[in-house]
Amino acid sequence: MKKLFVVLMMAAFIAGAVSAQEIAVIVKTGNSSFWQNVQTGCFNAQKELKATTPKLSVTFLGPQSEQNINEEINIVESAIDRGAKAIVLAPSDVTALIPVVKKAKDAGIPVVIIDSLLSGDPSNYVSFLATDNDAAGRACAKELIARVKAATGSDSGKIAVMSYVAGVGSEIGRVGGFKDYIAKNSKLQIVTTQYSNSDQVTGLNQTTNVLAANPDLVGIFGANEPTAIGMGRAIAQAGLAGKIVAIGFDGNSVLQGFVKDGTIQAICVQSSYNMGYVGVKTAYDIAIAKKKVPVKVDTGFLIVTKDNIDSTAAKNVLY
Amino acid sequence: MSTTTVKQADEHGMEAAGSSGRSKKAIDRFITFAALVALFIVFSITAKNFFTVRNVLTLTLQTSTITLMGIGVTFAIITGGIDLSIGSVVALTGTVAVMAANVGVPIWMSMLLGLLTGIACGCVNGLLITKMKLPPFIATLGMMMVVRGVVLTITNANSKPAPDAFGALGNNTILRFGPKFPGIAYPVLIMIAMAFVFHFILKKMRIGRYTYAVGSNEEAARLSGIKVHRVKIVNYVFCSFLAGLVGIILASRMVTSQPNGGQGYELNAIAAAVIGGTSLMGGVGTVGGTVIGSFIIGVLTVGLTMQGANYFMQQIVIGLVVIFAVAFDQLRSRK
Repeated sequence: MKKLFVVLMMAAFIAGAVSAQEIAVIVKTGNSSFWQNVQTGCFNAQKELKATTPKLSVTFLGPQSEQNINEEINIVESAIDRGAKAIVLAPSDVTALIPVVKKAKDAGIPVVIIDSLLSGDPSNYVSFLATDNDAAGRACAKELIARVKAATGSDSGKIAVMSYVAGVGSEIGRVGGFKDYIAKNSKLQIVTTQYSNSDQVTGLNQTTNVLAANPDLVGIFGANEPTAIGMGRAIAQAGLAGKIVAIGFDGNSVLQGFVKDGTIQAICVQSSYNMGYVGVKTAYDIAIAKKKVPVKVDTGFLIVTKDNIDSTAAKNVLY
Repeated sequence: MSTTTVKQADEHGMEAAGSSGRSKKAIDRFITFAALVALFIVFSITAKNFFTVRNVLTLTLQTSTITLMGIGVTFAIITGGIDLSIGSVVALTGTVAVMAANVGVPIWMSMLLGLLTGIACGCVNGLLITKMKLPPFIATLGMMMVVRGVVLTITNANSKPAPDAFGALGNNTILRFGPKFPGIAYPVLIMIAMAFVFHFILKKMRIGRYTYAVGSNEEAARLSGIKVHRVKIVNYVFCSFLAGLVGIILASRMVTSQPNGGQGYELNAIAAAVIGGTSLMGGVGTVGGTVIGSFIIGVLTVGLTMQGANYFMQQIVIGLVVIFAVAFDQLRSRK
């Protein structure tokens, strides 16, 4: 009896969803603050779009953990089976989800990819939304130059780049953009580039050593979350908080603490909120409004400093 | 069992290693130590700010992790085994401690919980190797992945800040005399204490002698009445215990859990042990040698970074040092 009831309920729900013009958002996992931010973006987009399409329904699903790729595939398949109008997908594997995305395309369901690249034939999906790492790196460089100028009155001096994994796609864009902007827009000299392999302690040790070797360092850039955390600790332990311009990347609670206490002057935070918000709007445009959508969208980033950390814009991106 | 048999097994072990007594071992040790001193002098001349009290203290602090893990893995290697899981154990123990502290468990108890987790990992390694008869390489390789998977699953790969008080162990110092002498960090004291304790265990206690015996000739050790399985399990527990200690120290230094941390640390620890004269064939190795080996890696890493050497070059240099250290050892023992 109970089972039958559940099945009936599910059937009713699915029927409701189908007639309700569903946009299925499927992310890497439902259990992390980063993805909950994506969810906020999705539901805010739904609220706005409901004005024109009252039947719109945005569903938000994800596996228990980011490692659970098969479960994510199952969730996508079930969205296809119940006839969702469009799918917004953050693939947790660069290749494993290609077949199921192709299956959606064959079923006439447009797929919008967010956050992480999906390899294979790019015509399998309609749009790819992610952070433009090159632009983000440049923005970090700009912020660093401005702050060095404000502190020392000139745009010359030594800086160090604390990077994460040499040669990864995002690193090439981010650190490459940073270095290029520094070279073209200031007289700052990059004395060293270190790679922490995304290990906090390595980031801490390397930063400590770089600071010890270069007491005249005016600025430092920590290019991802673990590296920036290690960099922040090293600066605090060396007693250099506020005496050196430090720019970090990503925005978990540890890094927010560093920004608030002045150890790190600014962090560049990728907009997870926008991935959800723009993701749903793009899916809506192509599937329901039948409009053309851009193939690639930069979901943006926000430079978060002590001054704007409590603003709504910052709250939307921080996790 | 009588102590005479143990002594015999021990001496047999020494002979199997191709050593001709105490004096040669002492010379070997002296050469490695001289290499360390030479490196130190070279960097003091070539790298600005390398030879300052502050930097030497920092270097010691940074090297304490690899030293502790190196001592642990030395025990596993002397028995003729290896432990590849310690990098993952570092991540798990630190994360368990931080999670416990975050739900309100007193700091000391949460750290103890972390240590117990490490010890449990060592027990599993030991049981897999002895009771399931798995080769240590395979057993600990599997555990490396399992433990990493567990820590990623329980945290969803998110690193979380710990309460401020959690950072005391990793960041506090004693004997602080102003900015010139920022004091000796607790992790360094722990390293010194553990080096003495485990040196004592290996050289003076029965379990240490059994360890050499098992490593140099397992069958002979078994026939002379040594409980080989028990010895091996204890050694893997030592190894994981020290890795757990490192996990807690690092979590405390960062005041953060690091589910992705510790990757590749096992290889550095093994390199330190090998540079320090531990033989991967088993039966040979000392705590003192591993300490020197760790500091050779530590001085190289810090020195090259401070010299502004290209990061990729650092890898090449350290790799070459490992190769030459072992090649040199081989050449000497062949004579």
